[in-house]
Amino acid sequence: MNSSVSRNPQELLDRYLQAVRFWLPRTSRQEDVLAELGEDLRSQIDEKETELGRSLNQDEVSSILKRCGSPMMVAGRLGPKRHLIGPTLFPIYAFVLKMVLLWILVPVFVFIIGPVNLANAGGEWGPAVATTLANLWFALFIAAGIITLVFAIVERTSVHLGEECKWDPLKLPPVRTHERKTSFAKSACELIFGLFGLVWLLLLPHYPFMILGPAAAFLKAAPIWHTFYIPILLLALVGLLRSAITLARPEWTAFPLWSHLLQNVLTFAVLSFLINAAHGSNGAWQPFLLPDNAASNSTHYMQAAGFVNLSILLGLAGTWLGLCIASVIQVWQLLMYLRKRISGAHQPATLAH
Amino acid sequence: MYVTYYMSNGTNHDTELFENLKLELRRGCLIVAVLAQLRAEQYGYTLRKALADDGLAIDEGTLYPLLRRLETQGLLVSQWREEDKRNKRFYRLSPVGEQILEQLLDEWKSINASLDRILQEAGRI
Repeated sequence: MNSSVSRNPQELLDRYLQAVRFWLPRTSRQEDVLAELGEDLRSQIDEKETELGRSLNQDEVSSILKRCGSPMMVAGRLGPKRHLIGPTLFPIYAFVLKMVLLWILVPVFVFIIGPVNLANAGGEWGPAVATTLANLWFALFIAAGIITLVFAIVERTSVHLGEECKWDPLKLPPVRTHERKTSFAKSACELIFGLFGLVWLLLLPHYPFMILGPAAAFLKAAPIWHTFYIPILLLALVGLLRSAITLARPEWTAFPLWSHLLQNVLTFAVLSFLINAAHGSNGAWQPFLLPDNAASNSTHYMQAAGFVNLSILLGLAGTWLGLCIASVIQVWQLLMYLRKRISGAHQPATLAH
Repeated sequence: MYVTYYMSNGTNHDTELFENLKLELRRGCLIVAVLAQLRAEQYGYTLRKALADDGLAIDEGTLYPLLRRLETQGLLVSQWREEDKRNKRFYRLSPVGEQILEQLLDEWKSINASLDRILQEAGRI
């Protein structure tokens, strides 16, 4: 023990109480709590002294204090019970945290920021992936901190939020059934927009400005489109037919799932052939649009055509990637649907899961 | 060795589980015991001693927050008073506390009787 510290047992008790005071929150009851604890400990010392018929030495006082517990632990027990986020708000806090971190930030980094960083990496993918991961970690950390802070403030300011919240059991959402029908509005919209799309496609060869805008004055479709125009038209017709059947037969709950998957697979096949055809046998990319005869001698128009062709190629590649992801998701949804149907057939009719 | 480790871990888990369940069981009983003891005025230490002598030992960190909570709820009243040249905080049951204690004791008897019946039916007694 430090020689500068007195060996007076009473002082040991005071030092103990001082340490407890350090950990106790500065409330109006702090002194009250300390006085009561001090009195209890003094009573214990008194009783022991009466029992032994002499004063306690420092070790004996020390053992009483040790049995009482460390100052931090005792302060924790004696102080007011506090939560950063209490049990009332915690389920909402956990839900918001999960939504923001897992369902917003991670997908944004995986599907947007990560690919952008890779595209700008100039071939150095390692540092780009490391930067993306570091940024993701930082963003997760900051977002979690801000959400926790906001909920902690709400916890402090609205202690009785749970009691004041009015809720009506009649407003609870209906029980979800295994077979969710496609909504009428969604099917009708798909049909209407599908019709517009088909008309637009049919008019395109005659009115190229409907897709090229002012550039139609100096650009024209390349021969590649002559080969793929009819398959694209057929794809649009398949989509229209699918929307019409979904609208007419909403009870066919499996139809939207597998027909959408089929349409995506067909689109994927046409798109792959189109990209393959554009790549050409000599390794050079074939243009999707060509400068008009009058503009073919102008460097400016040639450059513009080059940019537009690159944009179309990137757009097609992006669509190809999107279709890959959508197809995987749709296969998963279809499998889940089939699993539910099979498990549903083996279960007695009861509340939907 | 693995079996020994598993068994030792299993025993630790069982002990911890039992301690937690015992704590839950004691929590409600302690309130009744404290209220019952404070039908006569006492200060913290003598109350702890009385409870311990009757088989319900309770540490400082549990008793004092409980006393403060019961006082805030209006079941106890307290006052600082000098005794043996030392300031002590004396607690006693308030009139509301007396009523609540009677109700709690009735409830306790009812629970006890129910538990006895359940245990008898289960052939445990």
